[in-house]
Amino acid sequence: MSAEVEETLKRIQSHKGVVGVIVVNAEGIPIKSTLDNPTTIQYTGLISGLTDKARSVVRDLDPTNDLTFLRVRSKKHEIMIAPDKEYMLIVVQNTNE
Amino acid sequence: MMSQGVGINAMDRLRLDSPDRRTAWKEEKERKLAKLKQLRAERENRRRKQLEKEAQEAAVRASSVPRDDQDLDKMLSSLGVAPVSEVLSSMSSMSSEPGGDHSGSPDKSLEANSTASPRTPSKKQPQLSVVSVQATNIPPRETVTYAKGVQTSGSGDGHVLTYDDPQAEEEDNSLTMLDTPPIYGGGHNRHLPPGILPTGMPTVQDVKPALATEAEKKVEEEKPQPPRELSDEEKQMLMMTEEFHSFFDRSTRILERALAEDANIFVDYSHDYEEDGEANESGGIKLSLNRWFYDERWSRNRCITCMDWSPQYPELLVASYNNNEDSPHDPDGVALVWNTKFKKDTPEYIFHCQSPVMSATFARFHPNLIIGGTYSGQIVLWDNRSQKRTPVQRSPLSASAHTHPVYCMKVVGTQNAHNLISVSTDGKMCSWSLDMLSQPQESMELQHKQSRAVAVTCMAFPHGDVNNFIVGSEEGAVFTACRHGSKAGIVDAYEGHQGPVTGISTHSTPGPIDFSHLFLTSSIDWTVKLWSVKETKPLYSFEDNGDYVYEVAWSPIHPALFTTVDGSGRIDLWNLNQDTEVPTASTVVEGSPALNRVSWTNSGQQITVGDDMGKIWIYDVGEQLALPRADDWARLVHTMGELKNNQADDDQSTRHYDSSFSSLTSLSSSPLR
Repeated sequence: MSAEVEETLKRIQSHKGVVGVIVVNAEGIPIKSTLDNPTTIQYTGLISGLTDKARSVVRDLDPTNDLTFLRVRSKKHEIMIAPDKEYMLIVVQNTNE
Repeated sequence: MMSQGVGINAMDRLRLDSPDRRTAWKEEKERKLAKLKQLRAERENRRRKQLEKEAQEAAVRASSVPRDDQDLDKMLSSLGVAPVSEVLSSMSSMSSEPGGDHSGSPDKSLEANSTASPRTPSKKQPQLSVVSVQATNIPPRETVTYAKGVQTSGSGDGHVLTYDDPQAEEEDNSLTMLDTPPIYGGGHNRHLPPGILPTGMPTVQDVKPALATEAEKKVEEEKPQPPRELSDEEKQMLMMTEEFHSFFDRSTRILERALAEDANIFVDYSHDYEEDGEANESGGIKLSLNRWFYDERWSRNRCITCMDWSPQYPELLVASYNNNEDSPHDPDGVALVWNTKFKKDTPEYIFHCQSPVMSATFARFHPNLIIGGTYSGQIVLWDNRSQKRTPVQRSPLSASAHTHPVYCMKVVGTQNAHNLISVSTDGKMCSWSLDMLSQPQESMELQHKQSRAVAVTCMAFPHGDVNNFIVGSEEGAVFTACRHGSKAGIVDAYEGHQGPVTGISTHSTPGPIDFSHLFLTSSIDWTVKLWSVKETKPLYSFEDNGDYVYEVAWSPIHPALFTTVDGSGRIDLWNLNQDTEVPTASTVVEGSPALNRVSWTNSGQQITVGDDMGKIWIYDVGEQLALPRADDWARLVHTMGELKNNQADDDQSTRHYDSSFSSLTSLSSSPLR
């Protein structure tokens, strides 16, 4: 089974423009990452906070609502975050405009 | 003030001691008397009561303790306090003024002063001046109490957070305690436990000043903790769990779509104008390639054996694949579900099983189930709700089920009463219930004439019919059959093809005129034939192809349009109303692979073609071609009439050729691939 996980990660990683893929658990500890350790820790720490804030925004506006996807687009990169109850998947892609 | 001034000077007088100053002192006395008068006049209204009180008290004290004055004075002066006598005397002097004893007592007091302090002249006389007393009336401070008792958690003491403090506002943090408590309680409240009112005034003070900062500190302390690393084994363990897999599956699916969907939201249309010209051209093309589906891992080198569309989600396509001869360790049978809506070019779902899958279909009334018929004769059922890629149900390999490859499958019936019909190449037709694949509900041998089983290669149900169906066989004959009733089994035989029949398509286009008696067949003999159920001879034969024709399909929206694919990579679009001799549009697939399957999308504007190298090609059909006009139905009737007339003419001329043909057909029996 983990072979499929590896295969999928490799596929995503080889997609056009993808810089890195990180899988984080609910405590903010990276489980799997294709980036080097300091970068991973940095991304994880910052993005966990951002996701929590975004989730609290969504829920404060409407308690029955919940965050499903978060996309942060900047001049150089696009960070796509798919949060879940237990884990979170982060993909960083180059915006090649 | 007067007393204060006197007090200070008394100290100095005590120190200096010279009798020469007495005259100067007397002048001073008079000056002071005048000043006293002035002061009295000014302050009489305000302080009379207070002074009278104090004077009375002082008078009492003065009468009781006159002799100890000097001792007292000494003691007090050592402390720096004004000599009692002076204070008292000055008070009494002021109070007794209206009585007219003014002259006497001041002298006394002043004399007392003078004895105590004759040395003043050297020292600077106190500058006594009228000083206006500022009576400031400080109004009680308005404290706006903002009770956050409901929202605070864990503090538990019911703190009242006062809101107005400028300090709190500066910090922009409503949780910080005030440093200057409101005026009510004075500065002492901080030391009192909360809830206890010091002065009986109705306020509740928040006693824990640094709650917020404590909380902040806690958060900060926690933050450095997460980079507590998990060991590799822990990570592996985590990655094995069920939740991880389901999370991973969901998230990667969404992410891949997001990644592929590179809609450039920043595009500036005012910038590049040449590009618009290209877009217009494609509208005129009759058949143009839209995209293809190909998976490096799972569809490489496998032949596509069947395609089907989901009734619930028109964008989902299931394709079944043969085995990959180059990789014997991979599963022999693969079924992939592709999504045509998104640009993501990886399959939505991947399923496999141990035997090559020859046919696949969506369970019409169960959106999550995909059924496959395999080379071994087993019917397999996949469920996309489970995380498994292998079938959740399988029919047994027994004589009651199929023992030959199942090339044809279809779900017929209604929501409440439906069956899966499957026919294998040994002529056995089984009807299954999807709940139980352990044995077929009913089975039937399709036999023709002298108890010869029909080797069925393809099957089709006419539109709206669940009882009668049409099958094509390896011998080149087409049969109609019936499932139930007195005529169960093969009913009619339609001879015409000289090779195994590869595909059947029944006319199911809804319209004003019903053509559901028409059906098309394609065969290895390079021809496509048009039949009517009512006649055993073909109505027309299309002979434009130069290779085995592998499949034919009517358009779901246009009554006179159908498509064929052949082994040389050619896709043909025929419009009967325009021309029956040559296809209206034709294109060759890139690389010229042999095309095994063709199918229309439900919209009727796209064709999907499967080849033998594992690629599914999706072509767009130009609108002028794909969309029917209102008169197409009438024109088709006319065309059929013409065909009939031509046929009658041809029959007469070709009758004498038939005999020579039939001798050839008996020799040919090319096995199906």
